[in-house]
Amino acid sequence: MLVGAFACAHTPQLIARPASEDRELVLRVHAAFARVRRRLAMLRPDAIAVVAGDHVEAFFLDAVPALAVYAGAEAAGAFGPYRYRFPVHEPLARAVVEQGIERGFDLLYTQGAPLDYAFFVPLHFTMPEPAVPILPLHVNVYLPPQPTPRRCHAWGQALGQILGARPERVVLMASGGMSHYPGTDRYASPDFDWDRRILDTLRDGRGAELAALTGEELDKAGNVELRTWITVLGAVGAAKAELYCYEPSWHHGNAVVEWAV
Amino acid sequence: MNEMHYRFPPAAAYPLNRCLYALKSDDAFRARFLADAKAAMAEHGLDADAQAALLAADRDALVARGAHPYLVFMADLRVRMARGTGTFEYF
Repeated sequence: MLVGAFACAHTPQLIARPASEDRELVLRVHAAFARVRRRLAMLRPDAIAVVAGDHVEAFFLDAVPALAVYAGAEAAGAFGPYRYRFPVHEPLARAVVEQGIERGFDLLYTQGAPLDYAFFVPLHFTMPEPAVPILPLHVNVYLPPQPTPRRCHAWGQALGQILGARPERVVLMASGGMSHYPGTDRYASPDFDWDRRILDTLRDGRGAELAALTGEELDKAGNVELRTWITVLGAVGAAKAELYCYEPSWHHGNAVVEWAV
Repeated sequence: MNEMHYRFPPAAAYPLNRCLYALKSDDAFRARFLADAKAAMAEHGLDADAQAALLAADRDALVARGAHPYLVFMADLRVRMARGTGTFEYF
């Protein structure tokens, strides 16, 4: 069953802070992560299914899946000085692959691809004690052509049904967003107004409207990663979002959100 | 202004993107790059112009040659982290 749903920023400056970043802002985002961690302890999940956009780490141009499921025994990766490894909830992973394909989603699965920091950063700050297994769910956000928002939403709806019928207590966590333009000449000019409009929509429980966005709109708003949120929105339906924080830095709209499910 | 920030990577830029990916994600390759950048770039068959753009960390020139902007961004960050030129507070 689905017992909780969250969305968390994962920008690397939150874990490896250079001098360019406002320390107080970073700590405020950490405080929101700590709140998620406390909520996870209360929700007692058997697994955390993380929907993240791979930063061309697990999947380079040799093979670019639109949607993928990590179905190995454990998932491991590295970022800077960090080396991380998480047990994977294998029965849940297998069920998601099998039933996802049965429902018409031509999923790629992997049992060994490296785990990107998009998965690691939120888990580093929010994993409760004792730690629980994870289920990494990939959505291609950076290598065009990406899956459409409508497809991501449909996949989230299927995920919600698959997880809802399982005996395990599962939390869904979207990793990514909001507005930022890494590597482009717009890096220092995120679209915070766009973010705030989206957050208003989510607080009203109208997240399904995001399925109608186009890939061009997401790219223009610096929100290619919002596909991970839209996937989770497919699973949470009309639940209203509670905003834990929205912290706009000089290059990034850092948001942490919970949907009561 | 209809240009997308993230565009389909042209096939001709595959060696350049492969080199950026290795700088980002392959610790051993990054170490070889830091020790001898030209030799490391030659492993990926980069031409002289691409080598010059990468050595200068010239984002616009790299992107104009088909490099993926995210790979340019993170390859540069990882090289700076490895060089220890910036100070980072690790949480």
